[in-house]
Amino acid sequence: MALKTPQEFVQSIADLHLQIYMFGEKIDDYVHHPVIRPSINCIAMTYELARLPEYEDLMLATSHLTGKKVNRFTHIHQSTDDLSKKVKMQRLLGQKTGSCFQRCVGMDAINALYSVTYETDQARGTEYHERFKKYVQYLQDNDLVADGAMTDPKGDRSLAPHQQPDPDVYLHIVEKRDDGIVVRGAKAHQTGACNSHEIIVMPTVAMREGDEDFAVSFSCPANVEGVYYIYGRQSCDTRKLEGNDLDVGNAQFGGQEALMVFDDVFVPWDRVYLCGEIEFSGALVERFAGFHRQSYGGCKVGVGDVLIGAAATAADMNGVAKASHIKDKLIEMTHLNETLFSCGLACSYEGVRMPAGNYQIDMLLANVCKQNVTRFPYEIARLAEDIAGGLMVTMPSAQDLADEKIGPIVEKFLVGQCDTPVIDRMRILRLVENLTLGAAAVSYRTESMHGAGSPQAQRIMIARQSNIDHKKDLAKALAGVGKPWDKGKTKAPTAVPAD
Amino acid sequence: MTEGQQAGPVRRVKVVYCGGCNPHIDRTAVAAELPADDPDVGPGATVHLSGCPRACASDHLLTSDDPGTVVVAGELVDGVPTPAPELAPTVTRKLKE
Repeated sequence: MALKTPQEFVQSIADLHLQIYMFGEKIDDYVHHPVIRPSINCIAMTYELARLPEYEDLMLATSHLTGKKVNRFTHIHQSTDDLSKKVKMQRLLGQKTGSCFQRCVGMDAINALYSVTYETDQARGTEYHERFKKYVQYLQDNDLVADGAMTDPKGDRSLAPHQQPDPDVYLHIVEKRDDGIVVRGAKAHQTGACNSHEIIVMPTVAMREGDEDFAVSFSCPANVEGVYYIYGRQSCDTRKLEGNDLDVGNAQFGGQEALMVFDDVFVPWDRVYLCGEIEFSGALVERFAGFHRQSYGGCKVGVGDVLIGAAATAADMNGVAKASHIKDKLIEMTHLNETLFSCGLACSYEGVRMPAGNYQIDMLLANVCKQNVTRFPYEIARLAEDIAGGLMVTMPSAQDLADEKIGPIVEKFLVGQCDTPVIDRMRILRLVENLTLGAAAVSYRTESMHGAGSPQAQRIMIARQSNIDHKKDLAKALAGVGKPWDKGKTKAPTAVPAD
Repeated sequence: MTEGQQAGPVRRVKVVYCGGCNPHIDRTAVAAELPADDPDVGPGATVHLSGCPRACASDHLLTSDDPGTVVVAGELVDGVPTPAPELAPTVTRKLKE
């Protein structure tokens, strides 16, 4: 099958008839729902750009399984060039959507599972890798979106999965049959879950003895019996129900998260990729997280480009573009944004070919990348709010602007730089609002903090790989630590007479 | 060597080092433990010896496509986690396989 068109993608999602609940109601026509549709448009953009020759170098890759051109989101990385192009593709999509475009989690899941299934087979004599390769080819051949589902609700964090009073807070196997397994539980914060054809489930933490039923990885269709979705709220989400394109800030695009529930779901064996091998769950978590921490060095940078552009445009419209402090703030925003991009590229260029044959990012640098992402977008957002001014949160509504009596008053007092139409000034300020504290702030701010693991998770990984003993040795060698000291050679400094 | 036998050239394992900017292991200590003039090690045996998992000595490959080559990248031997004291014995065993 050829690459899907954006229209084919939207129709294929509609055809799944997913079980989606929002505001206490089941949503049947979800592809036309005004709260959901912007998130569908985001993924549709991954299909649209893939069909344009000017973006082909980033959007397409050659499958190592079939030799055919596939969407890079379904590709298994075959070189460090593939890894860096992934980051550049994500920056491009962040620029085009100003939102989380959601398709990365599946890409990162297949690349993590590719090497882990291989290594599990090598150690345990299982047959996961070959069946997983077939699955990847299925995704590629049909140009599908997969949701990489890792995060369990986790319940009491002080208890292991098997110790939880309600074991369902970690997704787990409830029955093993001759033809497959039955699973129960949930996955939280699932980005793009309601826009995906497939679900790839992975364990959420490194499992230990007693947790065998929780060390499970598999794939299933998004509309499999027993799976349903509870749509996550976003800041300002009901503005999308007001029917105007002004107050939402970004009318076309948006992110999406959902609570995904597995209510005794049957999975046939040919879709199972880990089943009780606890010693490989940690590697799977680390590799998926590593790939996803690399991803943020691309996608957040693209959204950052939009925010910097919005702040600079707001400055133009306010008539302050020539003020030196405004220029300096824009420089600082750019510096922070490009630092994130540098981290995304660095962990790509330092990637390695794994025993399975695929390429993986440098783990230390990927974690450094994400650690910076937990900070820099906040500072970029702060500077954008500084430049935009308080009007971005005190402006009257679109309804006021449209009102026959009030509208002209709004126009009179919201005027900025002389030849800027008030409506355009309002649009750009609403976009800044959208990105810094509206619907898109879900991904640009809080997802930057907690997505792909909260800050402390990166610090643990950084500590593990920091090679601190080597650094101590370097310092000791230069300082002369351990060398015998001849105190007889000390003397007072000699003063040099001035001319 | 018995009397009268001609001494041949000592067969050494070829070691390719990375540049050494970030060693997690003592590369020269590992190299020093590798076998010399061991008849069980085939000619052309090579070890790509990198100090960290970035595997610069093997151009970022954790395993080699050449069966006579073993890749060490920090505490990994051919991509498999291996504690530092076990690196040289593991490499030696693989060179003899």
